[in-house]
Amino acid sequence: MSTNIGSTKPAPRELNSFQRKMLRRQKLNRGFTYGIGICIVLWILVPIFFIFSMAFTTPEVVRSYPKSILPFIPFSMDTMRFFLASEGIWAGTLNSIIVAVITLLLSTIIAAPAGYAISRYIFPWRNFYRLSILTVRAFPIVVLSIPLAILFIRAGIFDNIYSLALMHTALALPTSILVIGSVFASIPYDLEEAAMVFGCTPFQAFRHVVLPLVLPGMAASAVFTFVLSWNEVFAASILTVQNRTLPAQVLAALTNSSEAYQFAGGFFMLIPALIFMFFIRNYLFNMWGQVSK
Amino acid sequence: MAEIKIENVQKRFGDFVAVDDATLTVADREFVVLLGPSGCGKTTLLRTIAGLGMADSGRISIGGRDVTYLPPRERKLSMVFQSYAIFPHMNVYDNIAFGLKMSKVAKPEMDRRVHESAEMLHIEQLLDRFPGKMSGGQRQRVAVARALAMQADVLLMDEPLSNLDALLRLEMRAELKRLLSDIGVTTIYVTHDQIEALSMGDRIAVMKDGVIQQIDHPTTVYDLPSNQFVGSFIGNPPMNFLNGEIVRENGLQVRVGDYLIRPEPELANLIQNIDGTTVRLGIRAENMEAVAQPADDALQVSVLVVEPLGSQNLLTVRIGDDLVKVATHPTFDAAPNTDLWLRFPTDQIRWIHPESNVTLYA
Amino acid sequence: MNSKKRNWTPYWLLLPSFIYLALFFAYPMVRGLVLAVWDDEALLPMRTEATLNSPESGNIHIGEQVEILGRQGNLIPADEEVVDNLLTETWFRVEGETESGEAFSGWSSETRIRVREEADDGTPLAGTVRTKLGSGADPLTTLYSEPNEKSDVVASVEPRTVVQIAELTTLELWFNIRGEEDGQVVEGWVPSRFLQIFEDETRGRIDRGTAGEFTTEFISKMVNDRFFWPAVRTTLLLMLLIIPAQFVLAIIMALVIQARLKFNSIFLYIFSIPLGVSDLAAGILFFAIFTQNGLLNSVLQGLGLIDTARPYLTNETRYWILIAIWLAEVWRATSIVMVIVVSGLQAISDEVLEAAELFGAGLWDRIRYVILPLLRPSLQVALILRTILALQVFAVVVALSGGDVVTVLANETYRQYFELRNNNVAAAYAGFILLLSMITSVIYLNAIRTQEEIEGDA
Repeated sequence: MSTNIGSTKPAPRELNSFQRKMLRRQKLNRGFTYGIGICIVLWILVPIFFIFSMAFTTPEVVRSYPKSILPFIPFSMDTMRFFLASEGIWAGTLNSIIVAVITLLLSTIIAAPAGYAISRYIFPWRNFYRLSILTVRAFPIVVLSIPLAILFIRAGIFDNIYSLALMHTALALPTSILVIGSVFASIPYDLEEAAMVFGCTPFQAFRHVVLPLVLPGMAASAVFTFVLSWNEVFAASILTVQNRTLPAQVLAALTNSSEAYQFAGGFFMLIPALIFMFFIRNYLFNMWGQVSK
Repeated sequence: MAEIKIENVQKRFGDFVAVDDATLTVADREFVVLLGPSGCGKTTLLRTIAGLGMADSGRISIGGRDVTYLPPRERKLSMVFQSYAIFPHMNVYDNIAFGLKMSKVAKPEMDRRVHESAEMLHIEQLLDRFPGKMSGGQRQRVAVARALAMQADVLLMDEPLSNLDALLRLEMRAELKRLLSDIGVTTIYVTHDQIEALSMGDRIAVMKDGVIQQIDHPTTVYDLPSNQFVGSFIGNPPMNFLNGEIVRENGLQVRVGDYLIRPEPELANLIQNIDGTTVRLGIRAENMEAVAQPADDALQVSVLVVEPLGSQNLLTVRIGDDLVKVATHPTFDAAPNTDLWLRFPTDQIRWIHPESNVTLYA
Repeated sequence: MNSKKRNWTPYWLLLPSFIYLALFFAYPMVRGLVLAVWDDEALLPMRTEATLNSPESGNIHIGEQVEILGRQGNLIPADEEVVDNLLTETWFRVEGETESGEAFSGWSSETRIRVREEADDGTPLAGTVRTKLGSGADPLTTLYSEPNEKSDVVASVEPRTVVQIAELTTLELWFNIRGEEDGQVVEGWVPSRFLQIFEDETRGRIDRGTAGEFTTEFISKMVNDRFFWPAVRTTLLLMLLIIPAQFVLAIIMALVIQARLKFNSIFLYIFSIPLGVSDLAAGILFFAIFTQNGLLNSVLQGLGLIDTARPYLTNETRYWILIAIWLAEVWRATSIVMVIVVSGLQAISDEVLEAAELFGAGLWDRIRYVILPLLRPSLQVALILRTILALQVFAVVVALSGGDVVTVLANETYRQYFELRNNNVAAAYAGFILLLSMITSVIYLNAIRTQEEIEGDA
């Protein structure tokens, strides 16, 4: 009978060379993965950092060649100021924000009930609806912009940021519906049933139990919609002429502008990406997970 | 030779020690069960043996070869996972053949082995089916067939029966035991079900909180548990534990209630050395003698619950502050709120040190 | 879930989205496709008489040469704006007395009246009846009850009669034309605004129409446009170069994330930054690198590999521009594929991968036999999505080449619409992009589905 109770620290043993080699192999694998990860990080960050350094230095440095190794010498707000003061930039930024906010609100309001419906109910036509949403999602934005522009012209609402917001919503809706649908689907119906057993109406059950749980996912989806709308270039260029959004304005001025303008503009447009991606990075997989069947 | 030697293996997760100084030798062709409650470290130990997680210290050898730092596929093992881990995108044939394909076994030989395994598990007719269209029991068989087809020296099994329903589990237990003993592969089997452990193992290693408590043949673990934990974990119902008062006059005796027990002489000396006045007794439900009539050499107790289990009656009785389970023949007449008299055969009593919880053996 | 009796709730919930998408998506889509093949102004309907109320006598194509058989003035509908090409004639309602002292009041074309008196703003006030030139013509000028030669004759007036001009009205001229349509001779009246008149009103040409017909004209215009084939080639080339690179990179990134190293959260944040970057910004980023004074040249010079700055984004160095576009797109759009791949990877249970490893599969074998097959649905979706988006690459190209040196289909669409004002051809381009998207989607779905069907998987 053998027993082995109580923990005594084993006497430290010498690793033989074979074991050492194995251990090293393990560490090498890990190191290799780290290495690749860092390479990719550099690949992503270097261009951003470069533009960042260009946007915050003097226009002379922007034009100079070769660029020095050390960034921000000198540090200057001139380039950014020049860009921000350029024609149509502040207005464009404001327009972009308005369009993005409207798109965000509108698409969330319309998509939320639809997402709830496809996740909670089984009804005839459900598959048809899902399929059409998927097809609509894959639709080229280019194809949609031209006829919408003509339609808006005929309806007299062309060159209007609200009509652009309508179009962005049309583009954002399918994704929002699918994402919100998957967020709802991840919350078991049992919770609502339990709430109803304890005295809630279906709506109260939804409000007290489901809503708090889906809010983070829905917020992430809304943020993503905002970013998409902010970034959208093609439709904005087609649908707005006088009341441009920021990307449309920058695009239009692109060929005639100095490098300083472009660099500052590029960086300025990047800012939301840098900020928002930080907050929603954890929700990305929820959002796209349901996509894959 | 496919002997497995585990020496002083420790596995930590951050500050938490999951497996602490585990030492165990599994002889060639032996079937050893790692048994314990959830979180005791048995699965961690198994995975460390498999290479799915590197040991922090200690040594693992298989067949004399040191495998402590080798990746799983170089350890020449086979494993059945708790969730079966069948490849959902391959049919049964490809699943079973997977390991053989990876080892670049020639096609005719591979084919032969796949069919052989499938026959052993009675799933030949499922060979071109896909896992998505099979029941849990069928999938489990595929997992076992896949492991057996490898004809590895060592087989590891991580709670393979725990996801099956009760009836299926019973069937598979017997079938597995027969199958594995026919094949004769060295096996380490993890389970939290002590009945499975008792039924299948050549030896059982009971674990608690990362520490191996006892490694012995099933009957030994059952009859002679090394500490209170093992006694309480093994057996259904678990071993009963009572507090007794040491009486150091007239030789050594232990008082339970108003009943005096005289321990066997070799054990009496050990009890004598205990600091203090209490000692704990362990005795199994079926080892007590129950009589319905008053007897002088028996302890009077009151019956609280009677559970007629068909093969036996399980009575819950109160002794002092303790609740004790007593098993009797199904025809034994007993009723709640009546009295019973119990005898405690001294050779069936296990004496346990009140502080260390270790069983005292001569 | 709800019971078997029909529950209308889901339909109510779906309704807003359905309506919205039908309105702002389906409807414009259809209209857009129609726009590519329907010429709104290809045909001009002709009428049996010189008024809009008369029935049609046929249609004639724009561009057709016609003979002019006659002319007639017609009231311009009050709500129509003045258009180009409108030939008008003015009619006066004149009042006066004949030599015999009879008062008359009637309408006559202004060509028959010589204006002698005008108000300050030029409005004719009075004049005399002109003589008719040419022998053999009726010397009297006819006055009508309405400004229309077909209306009742009110009076005939001698030349040189003094008249007061009481009213004037401008009429649009209609012409009776004869021409060929579909090999047959057709005749009818059309308003002058749709005609170009030459040779002294004996011949004319149909300038534009009001009715539409299906035409492949726009499609042929698109195909024959000198930028079309370059755009197609460049778009497809980019697609073929970008997508495989993205998938490989995305899988590598996904595996790094799945390895759950320390700082995984930071890796994840940085890896997903490009998701939020617009294609325009990405284009600018890489422009900054490849421009002559940019990062690439600076680094190369700093490392001593070159002496002077090399141009990369010019007309002569098209392939460099393509490389820059390739880099920009791979940089920007790989993150989306990575996210989809990671989601797919997370769906693969750890134990399955452990089992694969235990049964002898090294890293390559695991990727090939377990991970990739199980990722197939995700990859399929990602592939379709990415391809469709790749066909629409736009701002990156503009940022890096101004849209001239290197052009892609989306760029051409924009140019046709914006600069050339050619809605129909732009719509044709858009439709072409749609067609390519659908074809590639079907190809992918088939290529991947076939395998599954062979395996008989659900």
